[in-house]
Amino acid sequence: NFYKTADDMDKAVLGVYSRYQSRMPRDWTLLEMPTDHLYMSSYRHIGGLEAINNLDFQPQNDIIRNFWQSTYNGIARANTVLTYLDVPDDYIGTRKEQLEAEAKFMRALFYFDLVRVFGGVPKVTGILSIDESRETPRAPAEEIYALIIADLTDAIQKLPGQEAMARGRATKGAAVALLGKVYIYMEDWENAYRYLEQADEFHYRLLDDFASLWKVANEDNDEVIFAMKYIENENGHLLSSDFIPYFGVEGVASSGLEVALLAWGLHKEYDPADTRKAATVAEYWKAPGSAGPEEWRPYVKKFAVPHSGRTSSGLDLPVLRYADILLLKAEALYHLNRPAEALAELNKVRARAFGNTSHNYTLADIASPEDFLDKLLLERQLELAFENQRWFDLVRTGRFMEELDQVEWSYNKATETPQVVDLDPRPHFKYFPIPQHEIDQASPGVLTQNEGY
Amino acid sequence: VFLIPCRAWTQALPSVEGLVTERATQAALPGAAVTLKGSGRGVTTDAEGRFKLSDVPANAVLVISYVGYQTTEVPVAGQSNLQIRLDAVVEALDEMVVVGYGSVKKSSVTSAISKIENTILDQMPAGRPESALVGRMAGVNITQERSSPGAAPTITIRGPGSISASNDPLIVIDGFPGGSFNNINMNDVESIEVLKDASSAAIYGSRGAGGVIIITTKKGKQGKSRLNFNSYAGIAVPMVHGPENWAAGGQDFYDYTVRYINRDFAWTGGDPSLPLWGDDRRPAQYRVNPVIAEGNHNWEDILLNPEPIQNYSLSLSGGGKESDYYISGTFRDERGTIMNTGYRQYALRANVNLEISPRFRAGFMISPNYSERQTYPGGLQNLVKMPPFLSPEKQEDGSYLRPLDYWGSTVSSGVNPLATLEGTHNHTNAFNNVGEVYGELDLADGLAIRSSFGFNISYATTDNFQESRATNLNRPTGNAADSRVYNLINENVLSYSRDFNEVHNFTGILGASYQYNTSRASALAAEPGSFANEIIPTLNNAIISPGGSYTSKSQWGLTSYFARINYGYNEKYLLSASIRTDGSSRFGPETRWGYFPSASAAWRISREDFFKPVRFINELKLRASYGVVGNFNIGDFQYLGTIGDALYSPGGQLIQGQAQASIGNPALKWERTQSYDIGMELGLFNNRVSLVADHYNKLTKDLLYNVSIPAISGFTNAIVNVGDIRNKGFELELTTRNLIRDFKWGTSVNFSINKNEVTNLGGGVDQVINTHSRGMAWILREGQPMFSYYGYRQAGVIQTEEELGRVPVMAGQFPGTVRYDDVNGDGAITPEDRVMLGSFMPDIVMGMVNDLSWKNFDLSIAIQSSLGAKMYNLENLYYQGPTVSAFLLPVVEGQWWSEQEPGDGQHPATSLAALEYVGNSDYYLEDASFLAVRNINLGFTFPVPVVEKLRLSHLRLYLSVSNAFLLKSKGFNGYNPEGYTDNGIDGINSMPGLNNGAEPVSRIFALGLNANF
Repeated sequence: NFYKTADDMDKAVLGVYSRYQSRMPRDWTLLEMPTDHLYMSSYRHIGGLEAINNLDFQPQNDIIRNFWQSTYNGIARANTVLTYLDVPDDYIGTRKEQLEAEAKFMRALFYFDLVRVFGGVPKVTGILSIDESRETPRAPAEEIYALIIADLTDAIQKLPGQEAMARGRATKGAAVALLGKVYIYMEDWENAYRYLEQADEFHYRLLDDFASLWKVANEDNDEVIFAMKYIENENGHLLSSDFIPYFGVEGVASSGLEVALLAWGLHKEYDPADTRKAATVAEYWKAPGSAGPEEWRPYVKKFAVPHSGRTSSGLDLPVLRYADILLLKAEALYHLNRPAEALAELNKVRARAFGNTSHNYTLADIASPEDFLDKLLLERQLELAFENQRWFDLVRTGRFMEELDQVEWSYNKATETPQVVDLDPRPHFKYFPIPQHEIDQASPGVLTQNEGY
Repeated sequence: VFLIPCRAWTQALPSVEGLVTERATQAALPGAAVTLKGSGRGVTTDAEGRFKLSDVPANAVLVISYVGYQTTEVPVAGQSNLQIRLDAVVEALDEMVVVGYGSVKKSSVTSAISKIENTILDQMPAGRPESALVGRMAGVNITQERSSPGAAPTITIRGPGSISASNDPLIVIDGFPGGSFNNINMNDVESIEVLKDASSAAIYGSRGAGGVIIITTKKGKQGKSRLNFNSYAGIAVPMVHGPENWAAGGQDFYDYTVRYINRDFAWTGGDPSLPLWGDDRRPAQYRVNPVIAEGNHNWEDILLNPEPIQNYSLSLSGGGKESDYYISGTFRDERGTIMNTGYRQYALRANVNLEISPRFRAGFMISPNYSERQTYPGGLQNLVKMPPFLSPEKQEDGSYLRPLDYWGSTVSSGVNPLATLEGTHNHTNAFNNVGEVYGELDLADGLAIRSSFGFNISYATTDNFQESRATNLNRPTGNAADSRVYNLINENVLSYSRDFNEVHNFTGILGASYQYNTSRASALAAEPGSFANEIIPTLNNAIISPGGSYTSKSQWGLTSYFARINYGYNEKYLLSASIRTDGSSRFGPETRWGYFPSASAAWRISREDFFKPVRFINELKLRASYGVVGNFNIGDFQYLGTIGDALYSPGGQLIQGQAQASIGNPALKWERTQSYDIGMELGLFNNRVSLVADHYNKLTKDLLYNVSIPAISGFTNAIVNVGDIRNKGFELELTTRNLIRDFKWGTSVNFSINKNEVTNLGGGVDQVINTHSRGMAWILREGQPMFSYYGYRQAGVIQTEEELGRVPVMAGQFPGTVRYDDVNGDGAITPEDRVMLGSFMPDIVMGMVNDLSWKNFDLSIAIQSSLGAKMYNLENLYYQGPTVSAFLLPVVEGQWWSEQEPGDGQHPATSLAALEYVGNSDYYLEDASFLAVRNINLGFTFPVPVVEKLRLSHLRLYLSVSNAFLLKSKGFNGYNPEGYTDNGIDGINSMPGLNNGAEPVSRIFALGLNANF
């Protein structure tokens, strides 16, 4: 007897966002942990994390299973909204279309995550009974992409702009930008460019100061296209704690979780003149209240806003931001054989990072297509580190085999020696295994495992 | 003709002699009283059992009485030498046993019921009533998991059969179903009956699956008023590991720490020969500050201390022809062995019965009870693990030093445990009142109706406040919660009892019961750190957190009808059958009603004529029963899909969105347990030896269980009725009276063995695995005990780099980590190599109670033993030093330190960096078998002349020692082999058998006094 009024439907739509919002802060355990950005510390244990750190992907891994489960829960919430949408008769104006489009936008976002992580997955667009859920097999990845495109196309039609929507809810601009990004993953460069270019119509811009992106006071800025909203201690997240030292950071928190630490492999790539370095990386540390000198102990600083101890932080987490869109646009342009324009987009991001154009690339820096991709991926690393892009970037460009074969974790400053670790990436790692638990829940033979597992 | 002998008998005999013997053994009975009926004259028998009385009328009657034997009257009938044989009192058979809605003679019982009478159980410092029952009944396993004052033990009767719907027995207090041992003081208890099989529990229908415990409180007895005072006071001494088991502070501690840190450093490729301090080439986290070699404080010793306990109770009871009463008051105070913990209880009880007319009786019972409990912030390991360099000294400003104050970094930022304990104020206050009013009317000969109105009213408030100095975050926190529960019941029972032709005994009941429960709870929490100051700990001094605040309401109702008939033929053939039907609001309209039938029969072979020649067997009864009981202990309204809050904050405004929280299942119905029981009761040598043996087979079907479902449905589980669990077992209770003269010695031994097995999980699933973040899993697998441990088997320790390359490993392993057993031999360690590793459930549970007395002294010794259970002793890792903490030697010695110092090959490295490879194997599984002397009670009853001089009627002084002796398995490293900190079996994600910081049990020495006025 819920879903009776327009207000009920609005609450149900917020329920859809709520699922993404609660899942996102730990997405890094699946999407950053296996990359060359992080290595696991020993202080906080998350079941299955060590295996992912070691590129030991097992179908029994809890992190993979949790990702699957919470993502499908979000899809079910969206499907519930879409199923009951016609029940209330007290919608005013275009509210019904707006709620429908929000649900579709979020469903597309959830499926986009699933198809990138697992490949083809069961396509669920309605409310399933338990029996039906046991009999639903995986759909090919193309079908999932088709659903995403259909949902986003519809959402673009029906969503209002940012001015009519509260921050943290989907907007027309967000749907356009997301659709452009989806086409990048499909390597449909034409369409990707079309939508990424169209995103410029929504007045997004790069902030002058990269560091100001990561301040609670400045969360609702023009660079953010779509973000998950958090309030400290109310519906906050642990991400601010996950990367900071166990014994705390003065002015940030009296203790941290220190689940994972900054890997030297990424750390060493930052140019000292790059303002993103100071905003992303802290190199020296001392315990709060400790009299001792600062020690070399690098950690990820990007999300380290002041918060209550290990408890929740209120920093919003961007899902889509303009710098990402610019770099994707650069990629599309390059593939469309427009290298000068591609470099121009890339350089916008670089110029913001260095505060001037002195570090911009020129066509002379690009000797081969590989060079462009090297530079682009490096830029994405430096710009979007710990924003859950690296794993997908490595997979879609086919580079994870070479990049992750040998990684550098900690770094001894006095002896100038990194800890070099050999890993064993396999080609089938482009997709994570389908959780064994889910295969077991389905009727025998219905849910197939990915190749190689 | 008839007159002549009569006249002859009226003449007096000069003397009458005689010998008094026990009939069964022909043994002489010295000290028996022989009195001449009606005259007051009498003698006692001498050491040979002989007596002599002079001047006895020929028609006199002698009355011979002797403790423990039936008082016998013997007509002299002109004889001058009498051979008198006394029968031992067969009390055990004549006593009444309380069953649901009535009582029956023990000899007529047709099902498996254990009974405990409160003789001196209230005279041992047990704290809670359950503790006094430990080890006394077969098939009733009482485990004291937490040793903090007021903490309730877990009672499991004949093994657990439910995954999600609780295995707790139904507790019936004076007829009120749904009470708790919290509501009861042992002083007020007359007897406790445990209905173990389904046929006896079936009269409680939908709530009998976990067995039924019936508590009967004391009633007044006719005669002059009696005032009873019972008190004990003593000291509880925590049974700790002791300083010899800890690495001493100073150089020992420093050396262990260096080994730890160098091992970690070497794994990252560092050079352990670098100076430990003051060298930049050694990264900060691998340096060892020499300051930690100073100080030698044993935190176990600092934190756990002997504390006093005391108990006072006073009762007044009595009765006249038309009324009886029992009124009591109790005060109990136990201080916890951990600072700032304790339990206090104030309780009153009044039981009053009135005979208003010869055909109408009425009465009431109330038992208001108030308790205060103070707890510490859980997980004892977090406090005890403090390193020895940390000082317990209070600083001048009232603060305590933290480890960080010594080292500056690389050491826990945790606060001093003394600051935590002093600065934490967690209080729970509870008020509870179980009561009843009844009227009983005789309608016709043998036919009566009893109507009652009962209630159980509970209020509880919890106030928690932590000062900033008590928390690692250095911020004050607080929350408060209130709850109230009203549980009302009306019961109407028509009962009929009649003997026909002296051999047909027929009793029957017919009843209806209506129960309604309504509850309300509310909670408030402060925003962390929002207290304006720390002087006022109440929440008006803080900002209230919307996310932590709520109120909730719930209710359930149960309507029941039941009937039972008992038929006995000549007390030889006994039959009983019952049926109950319950309708519960917790299930959907279609499945609301459940039917719970039972039948049982018994044959007392010893009453057959053909058996009479077998003199040494005085009782032999065979019985068999079958019954069905239910379980409805799921949350209210679960058959409906529920909508829950889903917070989001668009535009920075917190809004409670909504989302479906569970899938509805209108077909949800009772869990049903069908059980068979075959039993034998045997009494030998006038019941000097009595034996009760039972075999049972209990199958719980239609488990109310939260099964996993495909997540693409949007949900990961749904509560459904699917799956079966079987408990099969054997129980034995053997009671002997070994010595019965001046020196008396009785022994009762019980033995139970239970085999638990998941027989069917349903839904096409044959196993469900639940994995702890440290790697151990609990599995439900068909054919195995429920929630068995499931993980890798340790086959040693990888000693060298060379071995690492040679043996199957998991990704990321390094020398010093566990060498796993590659069970499937595929050359790699994968989840397929996990195996069954045992269960938290014991195979065998035994108890033995010895009661001895000699003259005015008595001694009672209760022993309990449990064999075969395994504990996942995760707390070990806190004592292995990974965060610069105290080293518990048995779990540290023998470790692998380096290739040159490989340890004993069984103890892997346990640094933080290596824990991934420790917790997932059987390395932390420890044998939790134990043998405990739970209580020794030595009493002295003052002789009658002394007592009379003091104007008392009875005076007993006693010395009692609880947990006098605890023998643990060799390899067991926890404090308490029953110290499980998980909530037992409580849904699909249960991790029973996990220990993470259970407190040590206390050895309690107490001196007590029991006096009757």
